[in-house]
Amino acid sequence: MSFCLDTYLQQSDNYEIHASKAGFKDCAMIIRFKADDLVYIKPGDEVLGVRVIGIPPIPIGFDHEKGTVFLPYTKPCHGTSVVELPIDEEEVEKIRKLDTGNKK
Amino acid sequence: MKALVLLGCPETPSQTPMAVYVSSKLTKMGYDTTIAANPAAKKLVKVSDPEDFYHLNLVDLERLLGEINPGDFDLLVGFVHKDAAASFFVTFDQILQTKSLALVFSRDADEVAEFVSMIEESGSEAKIAAVRAFHNPSPIKVKFDKAIKEFE
Repeated sequence: MSFCLDTYLQQSDNYEIHASKAGFKDCAMIIRFKADDLVYIKPGDEVLGVRVIGIPPIPIGFDHEKGTVFLPYTKPCHGTSVVELPIDEEEVEKIRKLDTGNKK
Repeated sequence: MKALVLLGCPETPSQTPMAVYVSSKLTKMGYDTTIAANPAAKKLVKVSDPEDFYHLNLVDLERLLGEINPGDFDLLVGFVHKDAAASFFVTFDQILQTKSLALVFSRDADEVAEFVSMIEESGSEAKIAAVRAFHNPSPIKVKFDKAIKEFE
């Protein structure tokens, strides 16, 4: 069975929330600040089993030393959060393939 | 022809009557109309039409997001009154790659301007109807009626 972020966040406590109930732009800035490596994806691209919601270009960050990914997570009533959770190399490579290269 | 009406967080009083109004108008224009919303916003709309007079087709927003593909709808109309709603609208707009109309409103004029710029900065070609409104749906209705004429 493939990984699903929604299920993971409900059933695991091995993740960290760096911002919650925030605006998308603030969350994008936090990801750019915290990550040591970034890729930029389009809204609707699938990462860890969910379509990522946001304003392009959407930053997805990595901390390679910790083996974690930072991504924006948006809910209609709760705004956008920045979630950091463990990720394996296979998923990192899948995300790299989505990189638009567009940072503006 | 199929139209998708995207609702945001149900905290804004004018969203529910406008959802019924927009759905009814689009249906009269010949669209097979679907309203996508989170569970609370869906319930507010559903309870507003107890006799199913308007035949409102309500679906779960996040489930639909996981399923839609480019071209599934011919028109997207989105209610944008929160930062998250702007993000959802832009995301559906980019996936569907179809004609779209954003109804941007807030009680705060600065927020209206901010949400408009979020949509514009995304590169979206959506028509944007923006107005300061919160409790009273009339300003949104007036803007919608004017904007939707471009899609007739």
